[in-house]
Amino acid sequence: MSQTDMKRQLSDPASDATDSEDMEEDDEYANYYYDNTDDLDIDKPKKTDDPEYFEYTILQTEDAERLLNEEVERLCSELKMSPSLAKMLLHVGQWQGEDIIERYQQDQRKLLTESNVSCPKEMKEDSLVGSSPGCPVCAECYPRDKFMGLTCGHLFCPHCWDMHFRFQIEQGITMGIECMGQKCKILVPEDFLYSVLKDSKLRDRFSKLCFMDLIKGHPKLRFCPGPNCSVIIHAKEPRAKKVECSVCKSTFCFRCGIEYHAPTDCDVIKKWLTKCADDSETANYISAHTKDCPSCHVCIEKSAGCNHMQCSKCKFDFCWMCLGDWKSHGSEYYECSRYKENPNIANESVLVQAREALKKYLFYFERWENHAKSLQLEEQTLQKITSRINVKVMENEGTWIDWQYLQNAAALLKKCRYTLQYTYPYAYYMDKGGRKQLFEYQQAQLEAEVENLSWKVERAEITHRGDLENQMDIAEKRRQTLLKDFLEV
Amino acid sequence: MANIAEQRIRREFKEVVKSDEVAACNIRVELVNDTYTHLRGEIMGPPDTPYEGGRFQLEIKIPETYPFNPPLVKFLTKIWHPNISSVTGAICLDILKDQWAAAMTLRTVLLSLQALLAAAEPDDPQDAVVAQQYKEHYEIFRRTALHWTSTFANGPKKDKDYDDKVTSLINMGFEEHKARVALSTNQWDLTRAAEYCLS
Repeated sequence: MSQTDMKRQLSDPASDATDSEDMEEDDEYANYYYDNTDDLDIDKPKKTDDPEYFEYTILQTEDAERLLNEEVERLCSELKMSPSLAKMLLHVGQWQGEDIIERYQQDQRKLLTESNVSCPKEMKEDSLVGSSPGCPVCAECYPRDKFMGLTCGHLFCPHCWDMHFRFQIEQGITMGIECMGQKCKILVPEDFLYSVLKDSKLRDRFSKLCFMDLIKGHPKLRFCPGPNCSVIIHAKEPRAKKVECSVCKSTFCFRCGIEYHAPTDCDVIKKWLTKCADDSETANYISAHTKDCPSCHVCIEKSAGCNHMQCSKCKFDFCWMCLGDWKSHGSEYYECSRYKENPNIANESVLVQAREALKKYLFYFERWENHAKSLQLEEQTLQKITSRINVKVMENEGTWIDWQYLQNAAALLKKCRYTLQYTYPYAYYMDKGGRKQLFEYQQAQLEAEVENLSWKVERAEITHRGDLENQMDIAEKRRQTLLKDFLEV
Repeated sequence: MANIAEQRIRREFKEVVKSDEVAACNIRVELVNDTYTHLRGEIMGPPDTPYEGGRFQLEIKIPETYPFNPPLVKFLTKIWHPNISSVTGAICLDILKDQWAAAMTLRTVLLSLQALLAAAEPDDPQDAVVAQQYKEHYEIFRRTALHWTSTFANGPKKDKDYDDKVTSLINMGFEEHKARVALSTNQWDLTRAAEYCLS
């Protein structure tokens, strides 16, 4: 954190940077108080209690290179081997250093053979004939001592090795370059490649591509997926947890690199997103922005995130999702998030079953899509709040600190709704049963409180600060409870 | 670069010409032009297969980056085989793609193709229709491959039943090759083949 802060100061001395920094500091400050408001005991809540807690650091290219080199050196000194060999073993063995050392000590030859690093003796062959033999690739004749090769004994002239490396690097292959021998799988170590390849441009390209290959193969490292962002995330444990890049601000899941998706896991969210992409045509018709008021039938466009709607004409309170009376959405009876399956479905015809399957999918998709839209609208609300605060501060109606709670509320609302959105794919793929009932109960609880919070944030100026902060607390508690029970750790 | 390619092909010519397989007339390579970029290969159908006794012509194109990249090879002679397209002659063989190694030669390619004729891999097909027939109606596949060998590759064995069926479709007014493809694709069922020709 301090490192990146320093970097930002160095690279961005403009005044807007200090502005955002101030905000960030205030944010931390507010969080500090916020975290403690409900706990009378002095202990701060333990980080490990937070189901979303994830330890990671942001590395620059040089830091990551250093980290990889340290791991390579550790293996080198432990097993007394060359750095390029150690690097290959680590890459092939997915950087499980301890495991590699153990296997090496158990059976050195087996490990080296299985990793395609060296060749078992019986396969060795020296194909050269005569005192001035021809290269098997270019057919040119050279003295015997000109020929070069790996442990497999396939010998070729330096010129052909050079060409081979050139074509492989041009195809983007680095750590996977193999010997030129027929059916030979032996990998070319870096030091051998550098001893042959003299073209400095290609050497550079190789080292860059190689570095990318190594990072991609390392389970605890990941390139930030943000556009034009070159930092590398280093996680303590390779888990499907949320990472926020401190440089480009993009957030993503560490394990799969796409948008963060708790409580849904990586495989399920991929399945869901593919399904949504495939079925988007059928789902398109529901994405209309307008609905009629269930009471007076005036056409209503949804302009903010909250699903608790109030008709501006007849003042009827209703739910945007189910168009039912909002009164029936009191937290005890909130069921709008629960899909009610036809209990007799197994006995129905294939056609009915197909229709039911589509209905079920649309139910979840509609809610997923709706929360995504609400998130966008609430982003606008946050901007409006920020500019309102600006005006107030300029007019000497309190200071930034006095109004900070509003921004915190909007930020928290965003966080809660985000999680809520990702509960729908999770529920869609859940098997029927007690656990799903519990999940849907907690989901409904979360949804009710998120809508309450949203309602209050949109009406921040007529809502009492204590009331709003209380609502924030409840919503975040609901979110934490759900994640604690359902986020796979 | 092109120098290496040409030098290699020159030497490989000697290799193929010298080899025992040529002595037994199993494989052969000849030049199409003088620049060593375009060659014509020929392999004999291996014994104990439906391709036995047939001579299969191959088009071999040598890329400039040869031998660091594989030669481009396809069948000129029409052939009924799961890993070779019955329409274009394109070949699905690992050593002609990512398993190519610079030390491989035209001789190894031709011998590998001969081995492919002897041992098809229907689970990694180039021609899905042939592969399905191979897996589901092996006997029909064998006779179809034999029929194609005798028709296009001068194979010695005739299948009178299949020849007659082709003739009867021709007599119905369909073009010969279209008739053969239709029958081969429809397990030699005359009615279905006729419908296939009309659709």
